[in-house]
Amino acid sequence: MPEPSRPARAHTRRTVLKSTAVTAAGTAFLPAVARAEPTALSRGTIAPGESAEITLSVNGRDRVVAVEPRVTLLDALRERLGLTGTKKGCDRGECGACTVLVDGERVKSCLTLAVMRQGSDITTVEGLADGDRLHPVQEAFIRHDAFQCGACTSGQVMSAVACIREGHAGTEAEIREWMSGNLCRCACYQNIVAAVADAAREVRR
Amino acid sequence: MNDGLVGRPVMRVDGRAKVTGAARYPADDPVPGALHGFLVTSTVARGEVVGIDKSAALAHPGVVAVYTHADLPRLTVPTFPYIKGFIPLQGTAVHHAGQPVAIVLATTVEQAGEGANLVRIDYRAEPPTASIDDAPQPPHLPKPFRNRPNEIARGDAAAALAAAEVRLEARYSSPPRHHNPIEPHATTAQWDGDSVTVHETAQGVNLTRSVLSTAFGLPPDRIRVLAPFLGGGFGSKGPVWPHTILTVAAARLARRPVRLVLTRAQMFTLTGHRAEFRQHLRIGATRQGKLTALVETTTAQLSRTEESIFNESDSTSTLYDCPNVHIRQEGVPLDLASSSYMRSPETTAHFGLETALDELAWQVGVDPVELRRRNHTAVNQETGSPIRGKRLLDCYRIAAEAFGWSRRAPRPGATKDGDEYVGWGMATEAHTFAAAPATPPVTASVTIGADGRAVVRIATQDIGTGTYTVIGQIAADALGVPLDAVTAVIGDSALPYAGVSAGSATIASITGPVDRAARAARDAVVALAVADPRSPLVGVPAAEVVTAHGHLFHARDRERRDSYRAVVGRHGRPVETTGTLLNAPGHSWGAVFLEVRVHARLGSVRVTRVVTAHDLGRVMNRRTARGQVLGGVTWGIGHALMEHTAYDRSTARVVNPNLSTYLVPVCADTPAVESHFVDHQDPDSTALGARGFGETPITGVPAAIGNAVYHATGRRVRDLPITRDKLL
Amino acid sequence: MKAFGYSQVREPAEAVRAARQTPGAAFIAGGTDLLNLMRDGAQHHDHLVDINHLDLASVADSSKGLRIGGLARMRHVAEHRSVRERYPVLAEALEASASPQVRNMATIGGNLLQRTRCGYFRDAASACNKRAPGSGCSALEGWNRGHAVLGGSEHCIATHPSDLAVALLALDAVVHLLGPDGPRQVPVDGFHLRPGNAPHVDTVLRPAELITAVEVPRPAARSRYLKLRDRATFEFAVVSIAAVVDLRGGRVRDVRLAFGGIGTTPWRSPEAEAVLRGAPLTVDAIERAGRALVRDAVPRQHNGFKVELVQRALVELLSGWGGSR
Repeated sequence: MPEPSRPARAHTRRTVLKSTAVTAAGTAFLPAVARAEPTALSRGTIAPGESAEITLSVNGRDRVVAVEPRVTLLDALRERLGLTGTKKGCDRGECGACTVLVDGERVKSCLTLAVMRQGSDITTVEGLADGDRLHPVQEAFIRHDAFQCGACTSGQVMSAVACIREGHAGTEAEIREWMSGNLCRCACYQNIVAAVADAAREVRR
Repeated sequence: MNDGLVGRPVMRVDGRAKVTGAARYPADDPVPGALHGFLVTSTVARGEVVGIDKSAALAHPGVVAVYTHADLPRLTVPTFPYIKGFIPLQGTAVHHAGQPVAIVLATTVEQAGEGANLVRIDYRAEPPTASIDDAPQPPHLPKPFRNRPNEIARGDAAAALAAAEVRLEARYSSPPRHHNPIEPHATTAQWDGDSVTVHETAQGVNLTRSVLSTAFGLPPDRIRVLAPFLGGGFGSKGPVWPHTILTVAAARLARRPVRLVLTRAQMFTLTGHRAEFRQHLRIGATRQGKLTALVETTTAQLSRTEESIFNESDSTSTLYDCPNVHIRQEGVPLDLASSSYMRSPETTAHFGLETALDELAWQVGVDPVELRRRNHTAVNQETGSPIRGKRLLDCYRIAAEAFGWSRRAPRPGATKDGDEYVGWGMATEAHTFAAAPATPPVTASVTIGADGRAVVRIATQDIGTGTYTVIGQIAADALGVPLDAVTAVIGDSALPYAGVSAGSATIASITGPVDRAARAARDAVVALAVADPRSPLVGVPAAEVVTAHGHLFHARDRERRDSYRAVVGRHGRPVETTGTLLNAPGHSWGAVFLEVRVHARLGSVRVTRVVTAHDLGRVMNRRTARGQVLGGVTWGIGHALMEHTAYDRSTARVVNPNLSTYLVPVCADTPAVESHFVDHQDPDSTALGARGFGETPITGVPAAIGNAVYHATGRRVRDLPITRDKLL
Repeated sequence: MKAFGYSQVREPAEAVRAARQTPGAAFIAGGTDLLNLMRDGAQHHDHLVDINHLDLASVADSSKGLRIGGLARMRHVAEHRSVRERYPVLAEALEASASPQVRNMATIGGNLLQRTRCGYFRDAASACNKRAPGSGCSALEGWNRGHAVLGGSEHCIATHPSDLAVALLALDAVVHLLGPDGPRQVPVDGFHLRPGNAPHVDTVLRPAELITAVEVPRPAARSRYLKLRDRATFEFAVVSIAAVVDLRGGRVRDVRLAFGGIGTTPWRSPEAEAVLRGAPLTVDAIERAGRALVRDAVPRQHNGFKVELVQRALVELLSGWGGSR
């Protein structure tokens, strides 16, 4: 599966073959995923230390951002796109605070490079609500007091959305296991489990 | 008052902001033009920096500056709440691994991190000592920390111990541990001339301000510290740490705003920890289990630059009735970072005390709950004065009944379910909460606008405990307005003064001032109404006006009514009042009963059922109070079963500075918790009868787990954590 | 992290070519270990070749066995119906690995190539022969609770952290590679190398070689995975066992046992298997097999308990085998 399947989008994605950083090595090519010109990808190379403009589809919007290859998706979201709802807890995949959805699946955004996620649909906690209407998981987290300080909450909420979608919210024990990739140091776990179970019932309805 | 909000399980007012990502934490606030800072830290634990080569770092694209001790101005080392004894980058001495030796500023966070890797530091290194076992010198009694003596003696403990009918001697120990809040420590400093604004992950914005004021010799009013939200602290963000000072200093040198976020690994050397701890306990008692002597010597890790001990032995000294007590809190300086406060500092020694009481109960053949009842005290053991409003005995009764303690198997190792031994254990919980000192007085202001809405301002913090919500409840009740008519503005040192959110002090310290300020505002609005010819209440004696739902009524004639909005609107300008009220420190108590299952063959321990009952005076908000119980129980599980910072004995470096090898409990480690509260007004509390509570619910859990493991298996583990290798 | 270059490829041959022609290049797939290795300074690559768009992610089962693409995600494999039905040890090992998020990202090939979580290897300031050959091994006399009791040398006692590799070892799986010299196959048994005098070399993988697939013969017998750790989940194994046992009439017709957490590589024990082969599966026989397994164990200061624990774990896993499980 070289291309993740994704829903058709209303707008057209354009390849931006422009580099923002020109170094002594010359102009960098941009390896944006472009369905129309797949060969551009294999030729596209970013040299060490160079930045390239890439397009990330975040919360249904195409966002152009200039990044070096070493920039993680997390740092692209937080430091370049101002989407600070996604939190950096450990920056090494061990706490889950940075969990976002990529093409509907939960991933740790600190463990993936932004350049690797061109062409994917990224959903962050900011994109979960439908306007003023909160997602059932968000509602359930408030109702069950499933957080205290809130530092892990964005990740917990995103993980919970996926956990329910995956079908791993059947029993309390199952929720506990499948929500264990997200640490909560305030330890609201019992309330998180209750919120996920409650939201799962609502989503299923 | 009965239909008031205080005491109700009100949902968090900041919930929506937190579940949508809209809540802005200190590292989230956009600061245009800010450089990213990154600390270069010492690879050696003891020695001296003898050479620094910045050239490769400065050549890295995006790196703007590299500052070392040669660049920074001389700063004044602050005392508490700066618990370090020295400021890095002020000289060449190295006191622990991970000590900052340079700070790199760059355009992007990636460039700053790589710039830091490229700074070459040469050291003259000496062999460090990283463990109490390896210390060349014997432990000593450190000088009092914050006026708390490290030796406590009452009666004649040695004689009483010698004469005791029953004696018990045991040694307990626990390893170093780290707080690991999910949010890393972060500082963003922005200078404007001689004034600086600091976005800081602070449990106390005014503590940060006072430390910076001392360090930089700046009047406090030139410093503004902001922490509208905090992603967990657990004590690690109460004291102020070097990275804060260094970031502020770097921003001044660079003439640019600077943001610095610690890495997870840096949090293991730069933000305090619970020290490695040893406890030698000797108990004298009657055959009926009444304590006659408590002799305790503890040994804690100290650093080379700071000799601080954090009242670990509070429970030994104060929790039970015992006429003869001798406690020595000793320490050993090691080549490690200074330890600090970590949620419920007494948890270490409390584990030994509550385990020893369980051992004593088995020894004398008395039920552990009954043994604790026999040693219950109604007077303060240190002052001799009566304790009013102590409901600990109720906690034992309520929790024991709810748990079904009376059905406990009489012998250890007697209950097996499938492959697992089942054991029950209990322990007392206790914590001394702090209250803010008299000067400067904690002050809240309340402003009623022409829209009838109230804004409460106070420089306290919400560290996750629910401060925003509880302030709303208090003010709404006092004013007689709906909760959503109150906005709390906190986490800003420019607001009316409040202290640190640590030591379980927040509710105890701010409730009175907020209530007073809101009542004053209510009275002021009532006074305006009754004097206003345009008000239906004109001429009504103020004492006969009641307020509710945003309205003002004549108490005996409800048809005569006005509203906050109308009164203040006619007045033409906002009504603003302030309030202050002193409170005293005190205690919150409780009892925890729990069940463990120990795999007979594999030694794994699971906590499967927990029942708690707590006496915290008046319960301000049942939801947020219960949150503290859930957190405390889980912290107790982590403390008892897994948490452990490992230092390498030859390099004194942390071997597990991450969250995959420093284990904290995950969701699947935690059981359901049934929590009960003895809800009553403490007559000695000025906080509407409430007490500080957040740290109480950890204290007994580790011992209750160990006691349950003993009941399950007959094995007594006195060295934490209780990992399976100790039960094979 | 040091700066590095980046490119994407579409064809396996193109990937190999890119890795061979670009100085300092490595492949990146899930990235879940590689990025931490680069953050930790345990590894550096001047260039990453993104292989996520290669068509190597499929999972196919036939009567001969299972073929898992090197880029199949852990979750995808664990959820595959055939895997759950016919190779349960694989599904169990995968679902006992990491976190749900990481299992959505990490690939089968990358999982086999992940590197030790030894704290000294991951700390650029500590001596470690695996990271910096010749610098010494800090774990020998240091904090070694998590370290290996089998297969170590005086240069390294780090464990291999993969659960998947342990399961594949018990299943006699074969790794398919594509390199500059064309394709080749290497059994999982032998893919990982003991430290010996060269602890910095983890596997037989050659420069620019790519894991294209893993082939797993269909086992004739039932298989299970047992993983023990210090917290309930989301942790590397303290001790783990993958067992494939063909039990006929109470006797062991065939058995394959692989262990995690105790060896410097995923550890197969022919000695333990030999004890059990042909024997009735009694506690006594299992205990004798356990003793054979740990005969050459070299415990250190903090990891000695693993010697006892793994024997108990073997009894735990196998003694219930004949029953309903």
